[in-house]
Amino acid sequence: MRALSVFSAKGDEFVPPSSVDFVLPPIFENIPFITKPILLVLLSVLLVSLFFSLSARKAAVVPSKFQFAGELVYGFVRKDLGQEILGHDFKRFMPYLFSLFTFILTNNIFGIVPFLQFPSFSRISFAYVLGIITFGVFHYVGIRKQGIKKYVKDIMFMPGVPKPVYILLTPIEIATFLVVRPLTLSLRLFANMFAGHLLLMIFILGGEHLLQGAIAMKAVGFFAFGMGIALTFFEFLVQCLQAYIFTLLTALYIAGGLADEH
Amino acid sequence: MSKRSDESAIWTILGYLLSGLLFWGGVGYFADRFFNTSYLTLVGILMGMGGGLYLVWLRFGR
Repeated sequence: MRALSVFSAKGDEFVPPSSVDFVLPPIFENIPFITKPILLVLLSVLLVSLFFSLSARKAAVVPSKFQFAGELVYGFVRKDLGQEILGHDFKRFMPYLFSLFTFILTNNIFGIVPFLQFPSFSRISFAYVLGIITFGVFHYVGIRKQGIKKYVKDIMFMPGVPKPVYILLTPIEIATFLVVRPLTLSLRLFANMFAGHLLLMIFILGGEHLLQGAIAMKAVGFFAFGMGIALTFFEFLVQCLQAYIFTLLTALYIAGGLADEH
Repeated sequence: MSKRSDESAIWTILGYLLSGLLFWGGVGYFADRFFNTSYLTLVGILMGMGGGLYLVWLRFGR
C-alpha cells in the first residue's frame, strides 16, 4: 500500500512514514474488523499449531528433522523458562509459557517475512490482551497457592515497617502489582515492535525514494538501502528477544506468586 | 539459580521505582491542579522515588 503511494508520488516531496502507516484499511470494504493484523494473528495460530502438532505426531525415539526442530524450541522454553525459574512445579505452566513464546515469536517475525511484513504487536491492543492474560494467570496462581487474604496482605504490607509509612508504600505496591506489571509487559512488546517497524520503513522507503533522485541522491539511497537490510537482521534479533523477555517475565511473575513469602 | 533470581530482582526494582514515580507523581500533579500550585508534582515525584527506593531496600537490602 505504502510503497505504491510513494511510487506514484515520484518526484514529489518525500512523506516520511509515521504512525498513520500502522492503521491499515479493512481488506473487505464492508467488514471493518478484518484487517491485516487480525489475519496475521490467525495465520500465526494456524502456523504454530500446525507446526507443533505435525512435529509431535509421529514422535519417535530417533527424531526426524521435523520433530527435532519442534523439540529444540520446546526444550529451550522448558529448560530455560520453565524449570530454572518455576522449580519442580513447572510442568503445570508449560502449556501457557510455550504457547505464549511461540505465538509472540511468530507474530514478531511476521514483521520481516516478505509480503507479510507487519508485526502484529505493533498494534497495541494485541499486546494489551496478552498483558491482561498474564496478569490474570499470575494473580490467579498466587491466590490459589496462598489464599486470597494472605496474598493481598503480602502484596499490600511489607513486613517490618512502622505503620504510618504504609501510607507511602502501600499505594506503590498496589500500583506495581495491578498496573505497572501488566502495563510495562504490554508496552515493552508494543513499543519494540512499533519502533522497529517504523525504523525499517524509514530506511527502506527513504532509500527507495532517494534511489529515484539525482545521481548523488542515488549514492545516499544505496547506503540507506544497505542500512535497511542490516537493520532487518537487527530487527530479527529484537523480535526474538522480545518474545523471550515477555515469556521470561510471565514466568518470573508466576514464580513470585508461587513463592511463600512476598 | 542465582543468575535467575538476579534477573527477577532487576524487574522488580524497575517496577517499584516506576510505580512510585507514577503514583505519587500523579497524586502531586492532580494536587497541583486542584490547589493551583506548581511545586506539588515535584514533591510527589520525590516522595514516590523515595518510597520506591525504600521498598527496594526493604526487599533486597536488609
